[in-house]
Amino acid sequence: MKVSLFVTCLVDQLWSSVGTSCVAVLRRAGCEVEFDERQTCCGQPAFNTGYRDEARLVAKRFIEIFAESKAQAIVSPSGSCTAMVHHFAELFGDEPEWRERAAAIAARTHELSSFLVRVLGVDDVGASWQGRLTWHDACHGLRDLNIKSEPRKLIGNVRGAELVEIENAEACCGFGGTFSVKYPEISVAILDQKIEAIERANVQAVVSGDASCLMQIGGRLSRKGSKVRVMHLAELLNHR
Amino acid sequence: MNTETFAENAKAALNDAQLRGALRKATTLFGIRRREAAASLSNWEDLRNEARAIKDDVLLHLDRYLEAFVSKAESRGAKVHWARDAAEANLIICRLSVERGARNVVKSKSMTTEEIHLNAALEGAGMRVVETDLGEYIIQLAGETPSHIIAPAIHKTKRQVAELFTTELGIPPTDDVGQLTSTARHTLRERFASADVGISGVNFGIAETGTIVIVENEGNIRMTTSLPRTHIAVMGIEKLLPRFADLDVFLKLLPRSGTGQALSTYQSFITGTKRNADDEGPDELHIILLDNGRSRMLAHPVTRQSLACIRCGACLNVCPVYQQIGGHAYGSVYPGPIGAVITPQLIGIEKAAQLPYASSLCGACREVCPVKIDIPRLLLHLRGEINQQRTNHRKERWAFRLWAAIMLRPWLYEKTAVAARLMQRWFGLPLQAWTSGRDLRPIEEESFREHWRRSR
Amino acid sequence: MNIGDARAEIMNSIRTHLAMSAPDDVLDAPFNTDPFKNSVPLAAQQVVQLFKRNVELVDGHCLVVNGQSEVEEAVNRIANGRGIAVSGSAVSKQDLFTVGVGVTGAQAGIAETGTLVLDSSVERNRLVSLVPPIHIAILDASKIFLTLGETLAALQSGAELSPAITFITGPSRTADIELTLALGVHGPQELYVIINEGTITNQGAPA
Repeated sequence: MKVSLFVTCLVDQLWSSVGTSCVAVLRRAGCEVEFDERQTCCGQPAFNTGYRDEARLVAKRFIEIFAESKAQAIVSPSGSCTAMVHHFAELFGDEPEWRERAAAIAARTHELSSFLVRVLGVDDVGASWQGRLTWHDACHGLRDLNIKSEPRKLIGNVRGAELVEIENAEACCGFGGTFSVKYPEISVAILDQKIEAIERANVQAVVSGDASCLMQIGGRLSRKGSKVRVMHLAELLNHR
Repeated sequence: MNTETFAENAKAALNDAQLRGALRKATTLFGIRRREAAASLSNWEDLRNEARAIKDDVLLHLDRYLEAFVSKAESRGAKVHWARDAAEANLIICRLSVERGARNVVKSKSMTTEEIHLNAALEGAGMRVVETDLGEYIIQLAGETPSHIIAPAIHKTKRQVAELFTTELGIPPTDDVGQLTSTARHTLRERFASADVGISGVNFGIAETGTIVIVENEGNIRMTTSLPRTHIAVMGIEKLLPRFADLDVFLKLLPRSGTGQALSTYQSFITGTKRNADDEGPDELHIILLDNGRSRMLAHPVTRQSLACIRCGACLNVCPVYQQIGGHAYGSVYPGPIGAVITPQLIGIEKAAQLPYASSLCGACREVCPVKIDIPRLLLHLRGEINQQRTNHRKERWAFRLWAAIMLRPWLYEKTAVAARLMQRWFGLPLQAWTSGRDLRPIEEESFREHWRRSR
Repeated sequence: MNIGDARAEIMNSIRTHLAMSAPDDVLDAPFNTDPFKNSVPLAAQQVVQLFKRNVELVDGHCLVVNGQSEVEEAVNRIANGRGIAVSGSAVSKQDLFTVGVGVTGAQAGIAETGTLVLDSSVERNRLVSLVPPIHIAILDASKIFLTLGETLAALQSGAELSPAITFITGPSRTADIELTLALGVHGPQELYVIINEGTITNQGAPA
């Protein structure tokens, strides 16, 4: 299957190993991966902060670029960015043709774990990683895209990895985009409750499908001098 | 505390260890009970869909249903009054009370009456008003406002309540909740027995029969609406249901969502006035229909869903922001996720411009809402409105225009990234808001796309 | 201020704003609802047992007796010498607030929640079920419905709704102080439901 990678601006600039791991995992699962260098951003930061006009411009560009791709699927290592693409249609209230084009793109845009398990039917990519880890359900992936069992299936097949569930796996990490810097104290207060549960679980790593959550969680863990590291699902699945 | 000082209010709340402890305990317990109660019904999702469909129907035809409700209620002896805003509602209620020579008023818990600041108006007109719901009684004694939609004194510890009762009611210090409760029972009974007017809210108004439905656990609503000669019920115009049978859906959803109970202890179904003068119950029933900004919300499907709210409080308990800062920080009558979306609509976006941003958009509220209000979508809608009306900061608007310009031009995007890398290396990045509490992941020396090109 | 103005203005505001939303309403996805699944009917005995269990779950007491004399005997036993006020007779305000026990009938029961239904056109002095610290309710077994839905329908089956209908599920309660449960805040601290099976028909269906 031919896949077009939607790498996301965050991964592109701040966590490129997530992108390279994602490509490696998709190839191992039998996909041919293309990367359109004209892509930049899905528009989520603007959309979530109420800048609909700016978000609309960027969304249109996204739709135009990816509509040209012959790939059967557009795959992204980010639940929130994938969810954004699925929300594109909301931006085109009085532009019915764009609404249709947005729906068409959304129909073939998938988050990585959802693509592997639901579309390819693959839940084992031959990865191995020794140790105890826990999974953080990133909000948009969980609630907008119903991603819950897929990452757990994939992690379950990582040789040597022991998945420990924290009691508030579904609780928000407090990132919320610009919320994290508009209300930093509240953001960190929410985060600390997640950190508490992680520390109680006695794990070596926290894994999630969203780099933004991992930046939030990882940033606090390292500030507190914790030995727990953060890892993106793509990185875990690429580990041998 | 008001809505315009939200940021400061929140910071103060975060530094209040006692408050945070009380909040954590209460919201955790409410959350567990709600989950269990919802799980105990196999048709929970069907009920939610049904409830939302009923509410959508009511709101889309609100004028018709209101006319039916009023006509039916009046035919059964109720007097219906219309109040365009809080001031008008208070004027009507004070006039009714003064005309009847009322001195003592007993009130049951009603967020709508908090919204219009009724107590202050009644006291201004020379009346003694006492809140009879235990939680509301506690905060009335403390001179505070409710911090939660269904558990007004949730922020207070047992110790704080005990100290309050000792100071205000003169009882010996005690740690026993049973004793505190029976103190309130005795004190308030005297007030019930001597009250001239009883004021309540309304949970549901039934258009088909003209019935008002009020639910509670304590019994003070039954007291308030049975003992005094005059009963005044304050009802937001959106509180209607079309048919009596619709209560099957809503009485299943409301108590489970609010406290995890299958049914609250008491439901009062009041249809007009008593048939005979010597029957038990009030001589008069006055229903005050309140608009106060609600009709404006009908103008768009996204905002209209705000009016479906049945005031269960489930969204508060599950909200990561509310869990940390509590209700007072919002500075408004309605706190939490629902408060963040209806307050700007009720009092004006300019006065409550911070509230729609005080959310990480996690969506937990939408998941638990019994009538499926899409609060995150509403928050985004309001953020868009704030931007449209230029209530936000000019610097931010220009920042996003620049952002869009960069994102539309891949070559500019890459140049900007390189510039940011250099800035990071030489000066560090100006993100104090992030780095005050968290380490910042540095911009990569080689981006993914550069790596991709290199390894082709 | 003309009262008529307020009504007209509010109605006008409602209609105007609804009209404004019409173009966007078309794009809004409606909520799909499945028709209501009716609950599986239970035999009369099971209904009584379910009702009893649910009353007890909310800290009420429930006993099942057979016939009027057993009902009276149970009432006296529970009252244990304390003063009784009954909903069928007039009660002075003085008595209402000092008597130890209030006794009422109940016009229906809801098994799935252990709920009593009191109708003001029959229970003339319903305050007797609220003010005294102990409430005893006498309920015919044949009047217990399985579900809330059935009960609501039954309430509507007469000419018109009574001016005041009350549902009672357990004793009065609050958890307003640190979420600690306390019974008997304003209403009764103790609730006793006496189910009289002497009225069940042979077929076991509610009468």
